[in-house]
Amino acid sequence: MLQIPDVALAPMLPILIVLAGGIASTVLGFNLPRRALTVINLVMLVLSGVSMVTLWDSGATAFGGGLQADNAAILLGLTILVGSIMTLLVSLDTAYRARVSFPEFDAMLMYAITGTLLIAFSGDLIVMLIGLEIMSLSGYVLATLQASRRAEESGLKYFLLGAVGSAILIYGIAFVYGATGSLSYAGIAAKASGLTPANVGILVGGALLLLAGFAFKVALAPFHQWTPDVYGGAPTSVSLFLSTVVKVAAFAGMLRVFGGALADAPGWSSVLQILTAATLIIGNTAALFQRNFKRMLAYSAVAHTGFLAMCLLGTPQAGGAALGYYLLVYTLMTAAALAVVAALQRDELGMEIDDLRGLYYRHPAYAVALAVCLASLAGLPPFAGFFGKYLAFQAAFQNGYVWLSVLAALTSVAALVYYLRPGMLMFMPDRTPAREYPHGQRTPTNFAVVLGVLGVTLLGILPNIWYGWVQNPAIWQFLAGR
Amino acid sequence: MIHFMIFLPLLGSLLLLITPVRWREEVAGFFAAATLGLGLAIWRAGGTELFSINWVPSLGITYSVQLDGVSLTLALVASFMTLIAVLYASRRVANPGTMLALVLAMETGLLGIFAARDLILFYVFFEDALLPALLMLAIYGKSHRMRALVKFAAYTLFGSLLMLVSIIGVKSLGGSPTFALVDLVANPVTGPAQTWLYLGFLAAMAVKLPLWPLHAWLPDFHEQNHDSGVPDLMGTLYKVGGYGIFRFGIVLFPDASEELRPILMGLAAFTALYAAWIAFRQTNWKRLLAYAGLSHMGFVALGLFSLNETAVIGSMYLLAFQNVYTGALFLAVGMLQERIGSLDTRVGGVMNQAGALGGLTMALWFASIAVPGLAGFIGEFSILLGSYQVQPWITFVAGLTTIAAAVYALSAFQTTFWQSRPLGGIKVADLHSTEWLVLGLPLAVALFFGVYSAPALNLIQPAVRTVLAALGGN
Repeated sequence: MLQIPDVALAPMLPILIVLAGGIASTVLGFNLPRRALTVINLVMLVLSGVSMVTLWDSGATAFGGGLQADNAAILLGLTILVGSIMTLLVSLDTAYRARVSFPEFDAMLMYAITGTLLIAFSGDLIVMLIGLEIMSLSGYVLATLQASRRAEESGLKYFLLGAVGSAILIYGIAFVYGATGSLSYAGIAAKASGLTPANVGILVGGALLLLAGFAFKVALAPFHQWTPDVYGGAPTSVSLFLSTVVKVAAFAGMLRVFGGALADAPGWSSVLQILTAATLIIGNTAALFQRNFKRMLAYSAVAHTGFLAMCLLGTPQAGGAALGYYLLVYTLMTAAALAVVAALQRDELGMEIDDLRGLYYRHPAYAVALAVCLASLAGLPPFAGFFGKYLAFQAAFQNGYVWLSVLAALTSVAALVYYLRPGMLMFMPDRTPAREYPHGQRTPTNFAVVLGVLGVTLLGILPNIWYGWVQNPAIWQFLAGR
Repeated sequence: MIHFMIFLPLLGSLLLLITPVRWREEVAGFFAAATLGLGLAIWRAGGTELFSINWVPSLGITYSVQLDGVSLTLALVASFMTLIAVLYASRRVANPGTMLALVLAMETGLLGIFAARDLILFYVFFEDALLPALLMLAIYGKSHRMRALVKFAAYTLFGSLLMLVSIIGVKSLGGSPTFALVDLVANPVTGPAQTWLYLGFLAAMAVKLPLWPLHAWLPDFHEQNHDSGVPDLMGTLYKVGGYGIFRFGIVLFPDASEELRPILMGLAAFTALYAAWIAFRQTNWKRLLAYAGLSHMGFVALGLFSLNETAVIGSMYLLAFQNVYTGALFLAVGMLQERIGSLDTRVGGVMNQAGALGGLTMALWFASIAVPGLAGFIGEFSILLGSYQVQPWITFVAGLTTIAAAVYALSAFQTTFWQSRPLGGIKVADLHSTEWLVLGLPLAVALFFGVYSAPALNLIQPAVRTVLAALGGN
């Protein structure tokens, strides 16, 4: 008689729902218009979010711990969903103009989201790798989907460098397996402390290779070179997705691996602090010299990688909570800023910073929304970016990286300058003709912008709404699973 | 009541956005006056108790506010001068809705700074006041404002982010459960760490004092701002560095304050004299007033860093009342610019045609250069008297500033208001309608508190004594 394998479906449900959306987009794409598919996918994402919420505090696992729906996974998963929903909303308006309005766009997006969720829910290195590859491969396609030389260049660059990153990552996984004889996070964590000296060397090597692989994915300097070209060359809604959701997922993976599996392993943290410092310096100074607003936001994404990586240097309890808060805020403010760019740009090059002059007198609501996002990105209270930055500084400071927090403070001054220029130009009176795209109903985009701006303001004034959920140290204590 | 006072201006500023254009001036005036009224009511009631609730419990961030003593004095002055600013902006600026909204939004930030008794809350309000100041400069500034904006914002953030690291350090190294001032004082940081943390804190306060060498943003900020002088007045109120050092710096870092005392006093005295010297060379009224203000701030810092009771009282007195006359002078310069279309100090002969404007400006200048009988004198004299007992030579150097002040103030006044009106110069109209109030009320305040200082001293003295007593008596 046929045996049905005993698989716990509940913890997989959030991922399966998103996957179902992807498959539906693939199949129904022959019959339905793309907008209908997008609406279906939005519903799927919301359903997935609901199923995550029902899993709260259950600590359910599947495949013997290979997939774990613990609270950390749910918090990171919800953050991913917020970014994904904002991407879909923006794409409803702009995909047509970007000439990517066909079902494949939605299908690829949903597959990518499936991959990102798989990373957040992963319980061992293989699941994490599979998720990462699904995410990356879909991402390569998304970046190339637009029929333009720029998009092709951006996609190819992303693919080549991403493939190198993946290769290094896999090599690192092999090393770690070789040293500990285990692929599950819990198994690695259990064995990492009692190794023979020869194996410690292999473990350190593996950890560093993993770090390099992840550094490619999250754009830590010096592995960040692809970022501005890809974010700048891809259609804006894709840049939005890559700079928020994909980055959140990659950080979720880093948190699982370095905060959980390799938390006690030696070596990686001293290298990570150097990478972080380099990212802070390079990202922030390079952004100072950008003239294109979209490209500047790409460099700002690199700079924020540095701030986010500071959280990883904290203890898992403090750092995990800080990262959990910061990632949501980062998603909201970056997505809203790019949504405004997507709404106003004439073509997918985005706009020059000088084009923003006088925006407040032509599109007051967009200008104010963008100003709020920029202020939040710069870390000015009362917006949520300030608390994110504060938590990141605190996480690093309390774990002994005082010099890094001072460096971060100094580079934040550079950050302020490049956010300030566009922010203030918008409010300067201007009599030259408008350079924004004048037509079109943008209701979904406006909804995404409002969501981002309200979120950033509300989380800034009452941080406890979200931080109250992520702050429980018990959530981040068992990142590797029990 | 205290929360009303802090957030009423912000509410007014938001309401202004939806108020019909024709009523905006009246609504803004109402909110500014109501805030001042609440402040006076708090004063009548003898200040407020400490109010504290958790804001972000898991991080130990509290919403702790209190208005008494020095805080109340400064808050009253700030709300009074905001009312004056609203009064003048309504008359002077065309379609003033946006500016009035920004002025009110900034008032909330300033009142919050003075009321905050929690370091993170202080930081939040400190930065909140920055945004309206930046926007005023961006919207109403002159052609080179981008440079001024970047300088202003970069200096401010450079200081305040180092302060943020310090704040994190104070709690984490001292082991305090919350960021509330009482808890931080109960869990002090000791040893060399305290000095480093104090330096981080000082970076922010020195930018906002301002203190040489972190003052370079100030002249550009004032020069590039709107001609009316309203944003300059708000910028003057925003010089809260002295207050921050008094409220948090001395209390949290007592050993470091003593250790660094000679260096800081030297810097302060140098700032005072150097700024006065440069002020003498200025030919633009805004830049001149910027350096004059910087010179006053050097005095404030000198008194503060000396940790001597008389001097600290004097510097808080000066800090509060220089807002009144420096702010009013900026508005007087705005009136001058409206009449002759220039901010140059060498126009000549204004006094012949606009006697009242000249007379009031001169009286305010006298307050500024510490002529006895006006508020500036009490502050500066107490500072010199007190700090002389600590560091005679440094104080002597700073004392030279009073001479320099008379030189730069009177020579600029002379070339603008006396001498002869150039041939073909347009006729200068004298003060009319609310302009009398805009200059008259601050002068009346300066005069009143120059003659009868008891009401202000009754507020300042006990507060200063408490702070210095905690220091171990000095």
